[in-house]
Amino acid sequence: MGLGVAEHSVSNPFREDLVSRNRPEACTVVIFGATGDLTHRKLVPALYNLAVDGELPPGVQIIGFARRDWTDEFFREGLEKINRKVSRTGHDDKIWDSLAPNISYHQSEFQDEDGYASLAAKLDAVDEERGAKGNRLFYIASAPEYFDDILLHLKKAGLSEEREGCWSRVIVEKPFGTTLATAQHLNQVVNGTFEEKDTYRIDHYLGKETAQNIMVLRFANAIFEPLWNKQYIDHIQITCAEHLGMEGGRGAYYDGAGALRDMVQNHLLQLLSLVAMEPPTDLSADGVRDEKVKVIRSLRQWDTPELVKENVVRAQYLSGDINGNEVPGYREEDRVNPESETEAYVALRCMIDTWRWSGVPFYVRVGKRLPKKATEISVHFKETPSVLFNAAPGGVPDGNVLVIRIQPDEGISLRMNSKLPGTSLRMEPVKMDFHYASSFGKSSPEAYERLLLDCMAGDATLFARRDEVEEAWRFVDNIERAWHESENPPPMAEFPAGGWGPTEADEMLSGEGRKWRRL
Amino acid sequence: MSVDLSSAGLGRAVEVAAIDGELKKLWEADDASTNASLMNFLIYTEDPSQLTANSETILSLTQENACRALLIAMDRKAPEPSIEAYVTAHCHLAHGKKSICSEQVSFLLKGKSLGRLRNTVFAHLNSDLPLVFWWQNELSDLFEEGLYRLVDRLIFDSSTWADPTAGFERIVTARKETGQSMITQDLSWTRSYFFRLATAGLFDDPAAKNSFSAINKVKILAQKEQRTAALLLLAWVVELSGWKLLLKNGDSFELSSAEGNLIEADIEWNEDGAPLSELSFFSQDCEIKITREKGNPHLCQSLCTDGHCLYFSSPADADAPADLVASQLSRGGKNSLFLRVLPQFFELL
Repeated sequence: MGLGVAEHSVSNPFREDLVSRNRPEACTVVIFGATGDLTHRKLVPALYNLAVDGELPPGVQIIGFARRDWTDEFFREGLEKINRKVSRTGHDDKIWDSLAPNISYHQSEFQDEDGYASLAAKLDAVDEERGAKGNRLFYIASAPEYFDDILLHLKKAGLSEEREGCWSRVIVEKPFGTTLATAQHLNQVVNGTFEEKDTYRIDHYLGKETAQNIMVLRFANAIFEPLWNKQYIDHIQITCAEHLGMEGGRGAYYDGAGALRDMVQNHLLQLLSLVAMEPPTDLSADGVRDEKVKVIRSLRQWDTPELVKENVVRAQYLSGDINGNEVPGYREEDRVNPESETEAYVALRCMIDTWRWSGVPFYVRVGKRLPKKATEISVHFKETPSVLFNAAPGGVPDGNVLVIRIQPDEGISLRMNSKLPGTSLRMEPVKMDFHYASSFGKSSPEAYERLLLDCMAGDATLFARRDEVEEAWRFVDNIERAWHESENPPPMAEFPAGGWGPTEADEMLSGEGRKWRRL
Repeated sequence: MSVDLSSAGLGRAVEVAAIDGELKKLWEADDASTNASLMNFLIYTEDPSQLTANSETILSLTQENACRALLIAMDRKAPEPSIEAYVTAHCHLAHGKKSICSEQVSFLLKGKSLGRLRNTVFAHLNSDLPLVFWWQNELSDLFEEGLYRLVDRLIFDSSTWADPTAGFERIVTARKETGQSMITQDLSWTRSYFFRLATAGLFDDPAAKNSFSAINKVKILAQKEQRTAALLLLAWVVELSGWKLLLKNGDSFELSSAEGNLIEADIEWNEDGAPLSELSFFSQDCEIKITREKGNPHLCQSLCTDGHCLYFSSPADADAPADLVASQLSRGGKNSLFLRVLPQFFELL
């Protein structure tokens, strides 16, 4: 452009007051693993939808980096085809045509040093064309075994360094390690390449509208926070149910991971920390993450086989029936070892040893081939003292339950007790319900839209920090060790596909006079 | 729904005293639908022929904004006072599944109006929900304190006012009298939202940012009837740039920057173009243009220096007032930037 080196210290007066969020900055997004599903179905549609909403900074370039021998044109055509099918806002040729020239493909093996040198040359050429040095965002969406190679080569090619006021950031997809040791190793590699402030460990659950609403619900409504403690809350349940099994070859990955590593270590412990955290001092990334990590650090460790047996139930589904269709058992699924000892369901009792939560169990369950797809958090309040209504027909009324539905049918409901009309005193629970879809007709942005924008804006609040990830692995590792390394491991339970999990999980609660919420 | 909902019309004619009962009947007749409401949304017009068109507007608005809709039309020329009321509901499938409905109560008030508008509003609000009041066309003498004290968000379109200066004075007075709590939303300001967003985006570019202090000319092209929209856009540019108005000659202005550079700003009229069809910045080395062709849902942005140009497309603002209202409702906010720009706008007006 002929104006020479960028002077990023000059401010843009027109940004002032325009939007109440950090400003996303133009950058070149390099996606590793660009031929994969995530890029086609989530990342590029997210960037496209940001452009539709006018949120994408002008001049964002997208470079797909992968092994297959594709051309720019072939890459773009494939992205366009999928975007037409999956884009949240539909497909507008005009917007796509303005985005497409900024999309290119870079073919290279992930281990090939020359591929990174030519990527660096390509990025320099992009800068040259723009007439200024630009920001760079590297999105590692490849298979996890290539994470190390990609990071080390980025460093070697000098691509991870900040240059003259321009940032270089990295987003790392899950799984972030498979154990505490591998996560620590990956953290070392990442932080040896990028500074922690430039590292964004993505957990797409945190980008969901309802997950973000947890903090709003708790801290922007005076009626909840005073009750949000051991004095008023009996227990909390977090459920993530999935009716699907191992379709689409998913068994290959899943059988090596299992429900605990695949879902609990990241998504569910993130939800748990949002529900249980203390109010942060401010809404800065570290302000929020400091409080979240305290929760995970305060989780009581189940570090002996006996404790695991008492507090964790693992299970596999047997063949069964879902929505009238017969489905195979876990060990009969495609690409699953017929003698697999991997759990497709797990239920845990978590205890948080803090002043606020002492003695309040958090029951967490996640599984495949359950009756329906649903993720929710339910807060079960204590029952009222049984002095007034214990003589009434039906006895003491049920405790109040506040339900935060994460997906689908996002919303919040509150169960309370009401007198039935009539001359006698009879009570029935009634429900106050808030549905996002009913109240706000506008569809929420996809989680990836929000998270990509936040990364471009340098806001890491909705991304996991190094210590959060490692603390979560520490908790999960203890359980995995009891299952796989002890002489007398806790047993693997079974349940028919289409049911709500094994009886052992029900017994974990019924032994304490509680039961799983019926979804 | 099995009940009588003539979605294109005003619905069932009812006695005013029976409105609550009729609404109740509407919902009792159908268990499959959900009555949702986030606000009271009122459209007021002194042109009774607009009532049916406004019902169509509510049908469209309620796709994304569940509300208790109140439509009030006032026929002040009618010799005898009378009132007609109608109830209906607008239902939409949410994400292709559940039927979400918003109820609508319409009134046609005729004759002498003293206090009747205010009392009609008072009597039919859904409690606890905010009142969004869209006043169409000129602010008449019925826009008075007793009424606007009820209003949480006032929507108007200054491009329809014969005397914008007088109109804005009334708005400023109303805000003062409500302790500045009433949020005001001029559709002429909303009309430039994506122009402003595009400007901010273009000036993120280092080349544009560096050329900012050398800007010597600004040009806005608009339809003549969108004069307030064009002036509000220019006022936004001037206010955020920290420029000062030196001279005004019709729709040409001489401005000075904080560094003392002179800037020429012109608003030109193009009846065949979009309501707002261009905002351009010029300096010796750089030309930044945001343009829109009539009917085109996209803005075309360009940034040129030394013969090199970059081009982008981005969404454009809606043209129809109802669509502008919808986009404003989806953004919410207190509209503080508009209030900040107003003094500058008054100077340019």
